Amino acid sequence: MRTLRRIGLYVALGLAALTFIYPFLWMASSTFKPREEFGSLALIPDHFTLDNYRTMWARAPFGRALLNSTLVATTITLSVLVFGSMTAYAMARLRFRGRPALNAATLGVLLVPGQLTLIPLYTLIVQLGLIDTYPALILPYLFNATAILMMRQFFLQIPQSLIDAARMDGMSELRILFTIFWPLSKPVLSIVAIFTFMGSWNEVLWPLLVVRDEQLMTLPQLLTVFALGGGAGSVGVSLASAMVLVVPVVIAYMFLQRNFIESMAGAGIKG
Amino acid sequence: MAAPYAVFLLAFAAYPIVFALVLVFLRWDLVTAPSIAGFDNIRLLANDGRFWRAVANTFVFLSIHVPLQIVTALGLALALNRKLVLRGFWRAAFFLPVVISGAVVAILWSNLYATDVGLINKLLVRIGLSPVSWLTDPNTAMPAIAVMVTWKNVGFYVIIYLAGLQYIPRSCQEAIEIEGASAWQRFRFLTLPSLLPQTILVITLSTINGFQLFIEPYVMTGGGPLRRTYSVVLYLYNNAFAYQKMGYAATIGVALALIIGAVVLIQRRVIGRAEAL
Amino acid sequence: MPSVSFDHVRKTFGEMTVVEDFNLSVADGELLVLVGGSGSGKSTILRMVAGLEEVTSGTIRIDERDVTALAPRARDVAMVFQDYGLYPHMTVRENLSLGLRIRKIDPKEIDRRVTWAGGMLGLAPLLDRKPKALSGGQRQRVAMGRAMVREPKVFLFDEPLSNLDAGLRAQMRIEIGGLQRRLKTTTIYVTHDQVEAMTLGDRIVVLADGRIQQVGHPIALYRTPVNRFVAGFIGTPTMNFVEGSLQRENGQLTFAAEGVSVALSGNMSTDGRSEKVTLGIRPEDLRVDPAGDSAAGGLRGLVVLVERLGGTSHVHFDVGSRPHRLMASVTNDRLPDVGETIAVHVPPQHVHLFGADGQAFSRST
Repeated sequence: MRTLRRIGLYVALGLAALTFIYPFLWMASSTFKPREEFGSLALIPDHFTLDNYRTMWARAPFGRALLNSTLVATTITLSVLVFGSMTAYAMARLRFRGRPALNAATLGVLLVPGQLTLIPLYTLIVQLGLIDTYPALILPYLFNATAILMMRQFFLQIPQSLIDAARMDGMSELRILFTIFWPLSKPVLSIVAIFTFMGSWNEVLWPLLVVRDEQLMTLPQLLTVFALGGGAGSVGVSLASAMVLVVPVVIAYMFLQRNFIESMAGAGIKG
Repeated sequence: MAAPYAVFLLAFAAYPIVFALVLVFLRWDLVTAPSIAGFDNIRLLANDGRFWRAVANTFVFLSIHVPLQIVTALGLALALNRKLVLRGFWRAAFFLPVVISGAVVAILWSNLYATDVGLINKLLVRIGLSPVSWLTDPNTAMPAIAVMVTWKNVGFYVIIYLAGLQYIPRSCQEAIEIEGASAWQRFRFLTLPSLLPQTILVITLSTINGFQLFIEPYVMTGGGPLRRTYSVVLYLYNNAFAYQKMGYAATIGVALALIIGAVVLIQRRVIGRAEAL
Repeated sequence: MPSVSFDHVRKTFGEMTVVEDFNLSVADGELLVLVGGSGSGKSTILRMVAGLEEVTSGTIRIDERDVTALAPRARDVAMVFQDYGLYPHMTVRENLSLGLRIRKIDPKEIDRRVTWAGGMLGLAPLLDRKPKALSGGQRQRVAMGRAMVREPKVFLFDEPLSNLDAGLRAQMRIEIGGLQRRLKTTTIYVTHDQVEAMTLGDRIVVLADGRIQQVGHPIALYRTPVNRFVAGFIGTPTMNFVEGSLQRENGQLTFAAEGVSVALSGNMSTDGRSEKVTLGIRPEDLRVDPAGDSAAGGLRGLVVLVERLGGTSHVHFDVGSRPHRLMASVTNDRLPDVGETIAVHVPPQHVHLFGADGQAFSRST
């Protein structure tokens, strides 16, 4: 009896999992199907073709967008890790005037929905003349309150004796941070790295506001513009462009799924 | 060492918040100089049919999305909360859409929902039902988006519920079994009440998420049909980008923040009272 | 009619056998204690009675009814857990009454039972509190109350006092014993603490490695342990053990170890047993004469440590050439000092002998 229920459970789980995976499989297979075949339920195309990809690549600068996204996401992630950890270290282990105020401000930032500050930030960028530049995409994201709080929380746990010993050895605070704290903080740093990178990689609204030039668009932005603007011509092509955005993520996810889950779930709860 | 952050906060957090409130009282198209609008923006917003339509749409969205989210996430978490073969695989499968860009998911589901060539209608026809114009019928468009967003995020809430389930002490589970509870009674008297904090979190987060809906209507319906999927953030974006009305757009932003705050507070109050019962 | 009976009950987890061929009958109204170290199988046996662990082979019967395949809720047993297992989101009253509400018992009857149990356990003022507002001892009582209101056939206690401090443990021990005597419900009680076992049990089952070492009344286990394990487990302080061999001199049976010689009573049955034996003597059975008077048949010991505990003191001393370290419990007014030589008399009637297989030599009366 119990085995029957077990089998039922696995069947139900299997069906559920299928509804989560199948759409992506269908999307992937559709990109390899020629126009006539599109919409068929079969996963294996009768006439495998790379045309959709060729068309997509020719019609819009996806290679460039890939580069842009990578550049922006990497820069932001590095900044959040390096400068964010500096801030978190200061907030956790150094005494300075205004520390409580900074703490409160960081928490406060988390409470405010992004939409409130969206327009003023936009006007700021416009006034600084930074429309259609990389800084426009990067500047507002240089520091991440959630990341700082997470790192601060972690840094609070590291024993004071390590810091004291290092200071007596004459190490500067920065040196302490990077040579002692960083190696000990691998778990939290990787969590922060993942959710920061993914957040930046998938961000669409902000790029849509501050970037008009196709050459500077990020990948999800170009994809959106491309798919909506009719530049795709056919669904196969627009799906192919979606694949460019999705495939690197899925590959990374397959290898690092535990880290992804830990990271994005954890960040969401904290936020 | 914390100085750069302080500067950043001032420039990119404090200043925008303050300036947002200032903008509410201005009229500005970014090209010419801003002019004082007094309370005009606020008055306009109060009477703006499109804005309130968008707010109403959001409530339609939430009324479907939130309960559906709770039920599916909890159900999956309960199913996954046991020794399973390939447990990591199942968890990864459900979490996959969470890591995928919202734009991609929107494009994908636009095609799934497509009236003629969409996968969903094709499957419906296969099993003998008639196709539905998911995204073009004003009555089904927002619900369709709600289902899609539930699909995208359920993995995240499954993780939250799974974490909560770990905290139910084993002795409590065994005690209630010995006391004679059936599976349903165990769920009702022990599991569900123990998961109240998680359920609150699910409700709060998915509500906030619902109010921030943008890319989905932007990509899938442009706000139609008949503005039934028009979201507040979409309206904000259009006012800034398309209509060049910075002051008004900022007003929408502030109003949205206030609405979100109010809704979350009310939810907390209501649930708090339910918890006391 | 036995209340609970175990028939060749065996439990394996994969390759590992945790409980071997367990056979026992628990009498109606008896408080039976299962005692042993971790890994002895005692908790597993208890959980098999509850239905929380599956029985690999064998039968468990409650009131002659075969419950081996039944789910916990069908067995009419109630359990008190080590961490109490109280429902954190319910008040004490709700915790107590949940089992009854599930079984759709009449609300008036529920009230009556809750009031009765609450009164017996001193819970009346706590009924509307939640578990997190209770102390450890109070939570423990609520756990017991929850079991009591069910009026089950068997109470199962799984190390209920382990999470309490020593003083509270001593007090609760007495309360539980008193309670069980009033209620007369058959109880199976698991603990690793042999003091609890001795004070509470009508009968004690000593377990090691999934096997019964000995079953019997507490004093029987104390006076006549059947093997070295039980002898060393029961009784505080622990029995002294010395390895040596048996010798016969002029018809007198003697135990000998390096420089140690102890005369044994003649009624020890030693036929056909191996030469190598272990001698066991309880600290409280050794007689210490601080004057150093080496009486016949006595040992000479060099005192290395004296633990002064007030009424009783523990004298640790070395004997023989090895030397062997022994401990005596004394109540003398005059305690020896470290470095002194003492005369220690080993009364033959209190000597335990264990063969190489650990089994005790029996005495013929």
